[in-house]
Amino acid sequence: MNSKTLLYIVKRVLLALFTVWVVITITFFVMHAVPGGPFVGEKATTPAVQAAMEAKYGLDKPPLEQYGTYLKDIVTKFDFGPSLKQRGRMVIDIIADGMKTSMKLGLIAAGVAALIGIVLGAVAALRRNKLIDRVIMVITTAFVSMPSFIIGALLLALFSVQLRWLPANGSTAAGLVLPIITLALYPMAYITRLTRSSMLDVLGQDYIRTAKAKGVSGARIIFGHALKNSLIPVLTYLGPMLAYIVTGSLVVEQIFAVPGIGRQFVSSITNRDYPMIMGTTIILAALIVIMNLVTDILYKVVDPRITLE
Amino acid sequence: MKIKKMLALVLAVIMVVSLAACGGSAGGDAANATSIAVCLASEPDTIDPALNSAVDGATLLIHLFSGLAKWAQKDDGTLEIVPDAAKELVEGVENEDGTVTYTYTLRDGLKWSDGQDVTAGDFEFAWQRAASLELAADYGYMFEVVDGYADIVDVDDDGNAKNPDAKLNVKAVDDKTLEVTLANAVPYWNELLAFPVYFPVREDVVSDDGWATDPATYVCNGMYKLDSWDHNSLITLTKNADHPDAAEVTMDTINFYLSDDANNQLSNFKNGEWLLIDDVPTNEIASIKAEYPDEFFNVGQIGTYYVCWNVNEDILPEGSDLEGAEAETAKAEIRKAVSLLLDRNYIVDEIAQGGQLPASSFVAMGLTDADGSEFYKNTGFSSDFDGYFNTSADALESNFDSAIETLKKYYDYDEAEGKFTNFPTMTYLYNTSEGHKAIGEYIQSALANVGITMNMENQEWATFLNTRKAGDYSIARNGWLADYNDPICFLDMWTTASGNNDVQYGKGDHESVAAYSLDLTDLGYDTKVENGTWAETYDVLISDIKSCTDNDTRYKLMHKAEDMLMDTGCLTPIYYYTDLYMLSKTVKGFFSNPLGYKYFMYTTVEA
Repeated sequence: MNSKTLLYIVKRVLLALFTVWVVITITFFVMHAVPGGPFVGEKATTPAVQAAMEAKYGLDKPPLEQYGTYLKDIVTKFDFGPSLKQRGRMVIDIIADGMKTSMKLGLIAAGVAALIGIVLGAVAALRRNKLIDRVIMVITTAFVSMPSFIIGALLLALFSVQLRWLPANGSTAAGLVLPIITLALYPMAYITRLTRSSMLDVLGQDYIRTAKAKGVSGARIIFGHALKNSLIPVLTYLGPMLAYIVTGSLVVEQIFAVPGIGRQFVSSITNRDYPMIMGTTIILAALIVIMNLVTDILYKVVDPRITLE
Repeated sequence: MKIKKMLALVLAVIMVVSLAACGGSAGGDAANATSIAVCLASEPDTIDPALNSAVDGATLLIHLFSGLAKWAQKDDGTLEIVPDAAKELVEGVENEDGTVTYTYTLRDGLKWSDGQDVTAGDFEFAWQRAASLELAADYGYMFEVVDGYADIVDVDDDGNAKNPDAKLNVKAVDDKTLEVTLANAVPYWNELLAFPVYFPVREDVVSDDGWATDPATYVCNGMYKLDSWDHNSLITLTKNADHPDAAEVTMDTINFYLSDDANNQLSNFKNGEWLLIDDVPTNEIASIKAEYPDEFFNVGQIGTYYVCWNVNEDILPEGSDLEGAEAETAKAEIRKAVSLLLDRNYIVDEIAQGGQLPASSFVAMGLTDADGSEFYKNTGFSSDFDGYFNTSADALESNFDSAIETLKKYYDYDEAEGKFTNFPTMTYLYNTSEGHKAIGEYIQSALANVGITMNMENQEWATFLNTRKAGDYSIARNGWLADYNDPICFLDMWTTASGNNDVQYGKGDHESVAAYSLDLTDLGYDTKVENGTWAETYDVLISDIKSCTDNDTRYKLMHKAEDMLMDTGCLTPIYYYTDLYMLSKTVKGFFSNPLGYKYFMYTTVEA
């Protein structure tokens, strides 16, 4: 790695930290500006109890001071504080619990999607306008346009309720099969289409024609030249997709009762559980920033023509 | 050729997937009848008995802890409060100053799940802790009846406690004897003892803030132990063989699955994995009732779904010259008339569909009167119907006609169109939910029918609560569920200073409105107020109820309080809540109480 690349990476990491800081700041103040609070319920507590709660969690201090304390705790101790709703639990533990499941689910789904997507895309490109290409295109178009709550509900009704092959809740390993499929279908279809069009583009390039003319074998052309070069757009998509998919999908988690981070994120907002909102937002933002960075660096690995500046 | 290969690949994938499925889901609950899988809700906020304020949390807690008393089912299916950790539920002894002291003896053989003995000191500690400002528990106010609580929550203008050292008047005389003094006798005291916030905890256990989130640190004294807690996914309780009542417990393991999605719960019920689900998708109720007639239940729950009016909202026509008490009396009459325009049978049968009953009073069905009869049946002014107005389908037309007659006194009426022309436009506030929206839309159309324009505004839950509490609305959707079987739960929330006074009684302009009368001389009190303010009448009445020691008089006072509330027209009851759940036919021995707690310890599952 040359010094130019290193400098680029350092610059990008600093920019990433800045981005996360901006996210923290905006979220913090917007969150406090929204009406309602963590201790407001259908049944009002006495003013004394309300005041005691606010003092306990430092919510009686001015927002700017709370913001300062929060930043300091994160930077110096990596301390996200206690959840205000799930009493007795720390935000970091709740996030770790949820992320474990979401990560497992997301990584498998992303892996499945990438693998099948690239293979199907390549097959479709190589058999352009043949029956198999048409079939693949019809299926992927369907999956790209079907929202996950429909696919999820269909899979659930068929495999869980009718056939009873798989459980309808994500508390066991078998229960994760359907959510993984639901999560994987859209990116798989999308990757298939990306790979196909990119591959077609590459196959029309002069260097492929040259290779063919030189008598290089078909397999070598595809795996040695065409596939590698056609994966650049797929990579662009893979990074953010991975970040998105591992940070949990509320819809899929809801439909299949999967204990992931997506449900936590949404419920923390309705509950006004301030430390939970901050914690999940920061983790989500950090992941997306990191994945983008990794993607950019991977470009260089795949295509030496790209310079990192 | 290629297609065949592809097909083979796809088939292979499907086979792998189905193999994985067989590995995981087989076995489980159906085969093993000593365990039951159920789903009440998503992850409970807490299962610390002092901090819990939710029904699903309470259901877990009644399995995990033994308080002084518990709910039990009699042979005829009705429920009663019986002693649990206490040898007996003793009568109180009245002291000279009017306070009442109860002395309880703990039964023998009670142990914590780690083997230590349960002592009276554990109860004393638990109660002091639950009522303390330091813990700041939502349900700390359940100790309101205990002597000393008023001092604990007494704060100065800055919100600081005036008596930081104040304590409840409860003490452990020795390891077996607990003495507690109430400010005055209340009829629902035994029921409070069965409430989770009154369960014991041990000081060394709860000194760890996170004790109630991890089975390793969760020490309890009930019929079950916390075996495992896979957060957001599954809580497993196993039978505590050392509990004195272990012989009565028929169910060895209870798996509480955690899901907040009604459709997901239904799928798991349909495929036989979960035998009880506590949430049912509203839009599927009709088909579920048809498909599972023996497994769909709706049981009474002590709560009322209602619409509340902001007492300070001006609903008189523009240019009205009514002022002060006269204006308030007119507004009350108008609000009551508008209430009569609604067809509550249509709402429960066609919209809510959960077997709810049309409501004609604010104090809900299911709460009992002094003589044990239904409180709501003894309210109102007519023996022809229960409550404050007639909700039967036959009365619809006469209700409508009388409403129109009343409204004609105040508004211009276009006889040809059958519509009022100068009723001010109102806005109906509700929290985002299909069910609330549908009911709001019905009310909107019923009012539009007579020329009254009502706009709809929805807000997300926490924002909605804030707006409604602040009185920043004209009409709003509301609902109230009682904590225990006593009408005071529905009445003390409407005092001027109450945090639940969404109507804004006695606040803002209403503070100086002297439109209320209260005469208690027939009940032996000196109180006689004519044209008084809300604070001079209603607030006084509630404090009289709280200090009243004669049961019959107390109930009479409570009827007067509800009469006053209903007479303002600010509370428009819609229906009495029911608790909906689905229970598999294979489960025997299950029961639930009016607070919605569900009891699985005595169940058996037929294979």
